[in-house]
Amino acid sequence: MSLPVFLTALDALASEATQSLANVGDVQGLEELRVRFTGAKNGQLKSIQKMMGSLQPDERPAAGKRFNEVRDAVQSAIDAAASRLNSSSTPSRPSGPVFDPTLPGIRPRLGHLHPITQTIEHLKEIMGRLGFTATEGPEIEDTWHNFVALNIPEDHPARDPLDNFYLATAGKNAVDPAAPGAMLLRSQTSTVQIRVMEQCLPPLRIISLGRVYRPDAADATHFPMFHQMEGLWVDRHVTLAQLKSVLRMFATSYLGSDVHIRFRPSFFPFTEPSVEVDYFWNDSWIEFGGAGMVDPNVLSSVGYDPEAYSGFAFGLGVERLCMRRFAITDIRDLFRSDVRFLRQF
Amino acid sequence: MLVSWEWLSQYVKLDVEPEELATRFAMSGLNHESTTHVAGDVVIDVEVTSNRGDCLGHIGVAREASVLLNQALLIPKLEIAKDRLLAQPIDSLLTIENHFVEGCPRYIGRIIRGVKIGPSPEWLRRRLNAIGIQSVNNVVDVTNYVMFESGQPLHAFDLKKIRGNKVLVRRAEANEKIVAIDHRTYELDSSMVVIADAERALALGGVMGGVDSEVSSETTDLLIESAAFTPLTIRRCARKLRLHSPASFRFERRVDQASLDWSAKRCCQLILEIAGGQCTTDAIDTGSDPEPSPSIALRRDRIAKVTGIDVPWEQSVDILRSLGCIARPSESRGASPAVLITPPSFRGDLTREIDLIEEIARIYGYDKIPEDAEVPTFVSGKRPKDVLLERVRSVVTAAGFDEALTPSVVTKQAGHLLSYWTDQPPLQTKVQLLEGATFLRRSLVPSLLQAYQLNQSQQQRDAALFETAVVYLPAQSEGALPREQLTLGWVAACELRQSIGMIEELIARVAGIHRATQLLKTNEAIAGPDIDEGTGLWSCVDGKRLAWSGLLSRSLRNSLKIDADLCVGEMNLDLLFEFLQLVPTLEPLATFPAIHRDLNLIVDEMVRWDRLSETVRLSAGSLLTDCLYRETYRDPKKDGAGKKRILLTLVLQSRQQTLTSEQADQVVQQVIDAAAKNLDAKLLA
Repeated sequence: MSLPVFLTALDALASEATQSLANVGDVQGLEELRVRFTGAKNGQLKSIQKMMGSLQPDERPAAGKRFNEVRDAVQSAIDAAASRLNSSSTPSRPSGPVFDPTLPGIRPRLGHLHPITQTIEHLKEIMGRLGFTATEGPEIEDTWHNFVALNIPEDHPARDPLDNFYLATAGKNAVDPAAPGAMLLRSQTSTVQIRVMEQCLPPLRIISLGRVYRPDAADATHFPMFHQMEGLWVDRHVTLAQLKSVLRMFATSYLGSDVHIRFRPSFFPFTEPSVEVDYFWNDSWIEFGGAGMVDPNVLSSVGYDPEAYSGFAFGLGVERLCMRRFAITDIRDLFRSDVRFLRQF
Repeated sequence: MLVSWEWLSQYVKLDVEPEELATRFAMSGLNHESTTHVAGDVVIDVEVTSNRGDCLGHIGVAREASVLLNQALLIPKLEIAKDRLLAQPIDSLLTIENHFVEGCPRYIGRIIRGVKIGPSPEWLRRRLNAIGIQSVNNVVDVTNYVMFESGQPLHAFDLKKIRGNKVLVRRAEANEKIVAIDHRTYELDSSMVVIADAERALALGGVMGGVDSEVSSETTDLLIESAAFTPLTIRRCARKLRLHSPASFRFERRVDQASLDWSAKRCCQLILEIAGGQCTTDAIDTGSDPEPSPSIALRRDRIAKVTGIDVPWEQSVDILRSLGCIARPSESRGASPAVLITPPSFRGDLTREIDLIEEIARIYGYDKIPEDAEVPTFVSGKRPKDVLLERVRSVVTAAGFDEALTPSVVTKQAGHLLSYWTDQPPLQTKVQLLEGATFLRRSLVPSLLQAYQLNQSQQQRDAALFETAVVYLPAQSEGALPREQLTLGWVAACELRQSIGMIEELIARVAGIHRATQLLKTNEAIAGPDIDEGTGLWSCVDGKRLAWSGLLSRSLRNSLKIDADLCVGEMNLDLLFEFLQLVPTLEPLATFPAIHRDLNLIVDEMVRWDRLSETVRLSAGSLLTDCLYRETYRDPKKDGAGKKRILLTLVLQSRQQTLTSEQADQVVQQVIDAAAKNLDAKLLA
């Protein structure tokens, strides 16, 4: 017998077996087929296997390899038919309880970070990539850091006792904002910039983040306590153009697509020139915050030479960025601690 | 500031649409609030920043427009015909004495006689109406008109009502009263300026006139006042009396002392034109023209240094000239050309080179500043404190707590609860933050309890809340800033051991697992009415109080109407920070197996785990790597009353060898003996 004849017989068997096994309709028929193809004594596979003895010795390895493949294929077809016939017959009802894998899972209870915290972390991360290191300072400040060093003179409206949270001092009823040692809850995080500049020499690039306090009546858009992010960059050649560029990179990163920045002239005691910053988003200009070049008086007050150094500063309200991002419409919700609110973020 | 288009056109040729001008105003410093149409006129509302008092009149706004549109500014000529001048010199009619120069640095008076009070002409009424001002009569309307023209508030007194032919500028007397032209009575104090005659106050200087000397239909003779009042004085007065007027608004922003008489004359000119009469040729002036502003050197290279762009030098100087500055050549400063600039008297905000650069930049246009300038890279990194907070938040959120942010200033009741970090009373603010909240909190827990209450009322009893914020601990020494301690606070309806477990986990995550067990030491009890007796305790590290926790006392729960057993606690994160291990380093894994031995000890009910575990540790020696608490149970029938059984596991391991059973037995025996000796503990057979 030659190898081609052997292989032809083998292929014929394979195709007949897979076809009939695929179509077999009951367990009895399957058993008959099993005996017919793989029976130990007279099964067709057995018969063919016996033929191998008549092949040339150098033909046997190839023949054996092919035989094994066909044998395995036939066995798989038998198994497949068996499992098909088993599952289609009515399963017997188990006697004990049955695990229901479709029940809801047991979820780990994880807490949620406040949306303001998430916003602050996001801002820190973006500003960090732009080279700004986060700093912080006290919330209770003296009038030097909150006003004087920021070029806010004594007669400035911003120092009015009714517009600030001055601390009550023992034995004094009237708050004199000019009194030495008068303290207040800071009204802006620029105080931190002063503290950092008093401690460090330029160049520096920092942001200060934290709570600030102003006596506003609470409504949907105002709260007497809120968060600010202030940025400061002081070096030998810092310009308004770099301010615009840094804010553009910041806004582009925060909002996720290319954003344009617009400056409008404004007035703040601690910057000169001072600008209001808008960014262009969804076909309109949206107020971003205040910014400007650090006033030379501020640089002088911390001992920097305004002829040698310049810097820019900007301040953004964290709540506004946060509310826009998360579609929050009432600022008071941020401070109510309702878990139905907190668990959405 | 409401600006009438028709009125503005008197001073400058407006060859653009109102919309275009409003945008250009906004881009150069006069923010556009709104545009309305009033009886055929267009009225633009612009926001004037507090440094730009010069733009609180139409001429000031026209000057900005003339610069933006490159048009001439046409200021009215002051001409009074000879036959309209009184023969008498003014000081024969009246004297004016200024006794309060700090409150009123300059006071100018002019007199008009023989006016006929009546309605104003149509053009005057129309212009005032466009900017929302009611017409009163021809004289009052002219004073208002000139104020909205030049920005200088004016006042007309009925001269015949001034008693004793004398006007005094003086401090108000304490409790002095005046009835203003709004017919309300105001009680004054000595910080306020009054304009008085020999007998009584006639006007509240800089804020509002008095009803007694008001111009009426019978008035024929007038004193026209054009004065400068000190901004702070006026602001405090207006605020105290809650009496804000267009005049006080302008004085608060400083008026131009050099133009007082221009406005007085302008006022006289228009009154003569409209109401007839004759005016004095001279004025009474309690002051004099201020010194011209000192000149400022402007160096060309500084403009680019600030703006980052090259503004042509000629154009820079032209911008300043067009704004009213005088420019004179100066010697070059260094290599850079320079000019000497003298700002106009009405621009008190221009005192330094940087102020001039801002003027150049805003007129040249901020839109010409690029937004793609080079920004060199700079090293920045995460601070260790940020790492601490990240780890703390990750532990607490993993424990199922949601983060709350609550106000730092609380009510008196909340300010005194559960405050264990200091014995000093809380600091207070003068103004309340929210209803009744003037106390700077010394504990975060009362705020979180309030938040829990709110959630309980929303059927959210599973609220578990934490906050990281500072608490305010009054300074020990006078004048020093208070200590602000970064603190973690939490509130949850959970078991106390979960709360304590969180403290342990926080230390482990921050200080590293190998140091944690050694660090956390004896627990010192907290006493007080806010915490359930026997549950409150301090967790200490290095002998310092790191954290406290406990169960809220029943009485406090009742008074706060909280209906769950609440665990509360706080941790000093500044102290925890001292133990921060930024990067954990690997301790090699033990190569030899550990042996676990369970011990079931019967001890007195009063023996606490801290004593038992300490005894175990001290007696077991160096082979003990851990002593694990398993459980406590009681069997009074077998052990007798007042006894409990504590099941614990000793973990024994050597770094040098595999321990033999005999070695382990020896350690176990040491522990049993020590427990028997120190704690009268019996081993359950």
